[in-house]
Amino acid sequence: MNTIDTGDVLPAPLPGLGSMDVVARAGNTMTLSMGPQHPSTHGVLQVVVEIAGEIVERLEMEIGYLHTGIEKSAENLFWTQAGTVIERMDYLNPLGNAMCYVLAVERLLGITDRIPERAKDIRILMCELSRVASHCVWLGTGGIDLGAISTFFYSFDIREDILDLIEDSGGARMHPNYLRIGGVNGDLPAGFIAKLDALIEKFPKRMRELRTLLQNNPILRDRMIDVGVITPEQAVAWNLSGPALRGSGIAYDVRKAFPYGGYEKYEFDVPVRSEGDAYARFLVRLDEMDESMRIVAAVRKALDEPGPVMVDDPKIAQPPKETIALSMEALIHHFKIVSESFRVPPGDVYQAIESPRGELGYYLVSNGNNRPYRVRTRPPSMYNLQALKAMAPGNLIADIVVMIGSLDPVFGEVDR
Amino acid sequence: MPSSQNPSIAPLALDPTALRPPIDDAEIVRVAPAELLAKLAALKAEGYSLLLDVGAVDYLEREPRYDVVYHLLALPLAAASVAEVGTPRRLRVLCGVGAEAPEVPTASALWPSADWAEREIFDFFGIRFAGHPNLRRIQMPYDWVGHPLRKDYPLRGPAREATPRPPFALKSNVPAGAPPSGKVAAALQKQIARARGQEPAGGSTDGEKT
Repeated sequence: MNTIDTGDVLPAPLPGLGSMDVVARAGNTMTLSMGPQHPSTHGVLQVVVEIAGEIVERLEMEIGYLHTGIEKSAENLFWTQAGTVIERMDYLNPLGNAMCYVLAVERLLGITDRIPERAKDIRILMCELSRVASHCVWLGTGGIDLGAISTFFYSFDIREDILDLIEDSGGARMHPNYLRIGGVNGDLPAGFIAKLDALIEKFPKRMRELRTLLQNNPILRDRMIDVGVITPEQAVAWNLSGPALRGSGIAYDVRKAFPYGGYEKYEFDVPVRSEGDAYARFLVRLDEMDESMRIVAAVRKALDEPGPVMVDDPKIAQPPKETIALSMEALIHHFKIVSESFRVPPGDVYQAIESPRGELGYYLVSNGNNRPYRVRTRPPSMYNLQALKAMAPGNLIADIVVMIGSLDPVFGEVDR
Repeated sequence: MPSSQNPSIAPLALDPTALRPPIDDAEIVRVAPAELLAKLAALKAEGYSLLLDVGAVDYLEREPRYDVVYHLLALPLAAASVAEVGTPRRLRVLCGVGAEAPEVPTASALWPSADWAEREIFDFFGIRFAGHPNLRRIQMPYDWVGHPLRKDYPLRGPAREATPRPPFALKSNVPAGAPPSGKVAAALQKQIARARGQEPAGGSTDGEKT
């Protein structure tokens, strides 16, 4: 007998909701349930489709299978600790999530202008590398969805190099908690720049190979062109953002529209396509990877300048470890920050960044305590995925897989 | 969450949104639930084409208790270049909702994207959206009791909150009441002696020659 926390007895699970089971038949149509353990959903998504023959007539989705209550957890942690759980929302772009959160807290604290240049550069470097790594996963798994196995290995090779860099700088491959309120946790280690240079040099060749394998591949083009078309009107009505919006011909990029964290210093283009189909979104993401590496190469030049990587404010920045045994003030500040964090002036703020999936936003409310009062995420994956309801009707059921892949949802973020 | 290490220096703000001018790019508007729908429709006609997000905050002791927060963006429909998009206007609409049977009209007729966001608010805060086509839980299981993001909903859930956390001893793999082996104390003694440059009496037993 299943019981939940409240002591209630769960009713029997709904009959016939396994993977690809027929739920109901009526007249000409049939209702199918795909998932939640369907491999092509890149996570746990249940899609219930009503089909007539092979054509989708109506589509509904069930999400929440990966809900972990991250917002509630963050509201019960210190300001300095919340970043660790927030990084776990979009697990393909942990540094982007951290970036958005620390920028929002810095606005509340009023220290945005005091962040050292080098810290800003390192943050941008990390965000852009994460974007490339995230797009690599999308490219690899998206290729597998369509039967192209080898691209997976080529793209994960790039991702592996980037994860090595992230591990070198932050100590962990996936969730390093490297970006901190006020800067970054320590300068880049010795040997980092050499590895970065090697990646910058290797990347164009790898990208050419990937494009040769995929971009003009007739099978891939047949599967993607004119599939899952979104008009600009639909894109705006369904609140799309990121590559999904730019694939429909609207050049909205948060990095350009509301420059944050030092992006105004760097030059890059925003790839836009007007077709609005899965292939357009595919090309936008490929071009974005090149643009990201352009930013990375520019940041690499700026990194030759040494400098501080943390804001000069002992109430917010932890003192360097070696001073703790020597200075009483350093010891006290260290103890205070670790044991009770700091207080943030009351107020609310909405901060957005351009994550690989679109506009990622945090609406933070502080009531003056040492914990966030409210952490509301604007999850780009969730809104992008929701548009599948508008996109799928009229398409073939086999193309649902292509459409989900072209929206690139991450379920850690959809469900949080 | 008060604790001994967290003495309250200043009283906590009951209504943080009222205390500070906007520190982000957004303009802020506050409306009553009765005028919400008309206001949103007017804003949409004015050019705020994108409903970026709908969220909610539970202020618990404030009156009205909840805020439903709409983030709008005035994105032009035909803007194929970055210059044409420019810096679109941002707007934040705050709508206070009372604690008794909280309800606001749905925005899903104006923006279809409000569908899931409003379901999430219903799920987490128990705020109902009048006229929503499919208002049911979205993230929590469909038979969940309670609304977990309310501030009076305990972090570990009501049932677990009633049972105390197990004491540390119960988590140990050493059975309770087992006599101390003395190994730890002996090792510590040895370490101290070594740090002081004295070999312990009786010589080294671990075969280590330094």
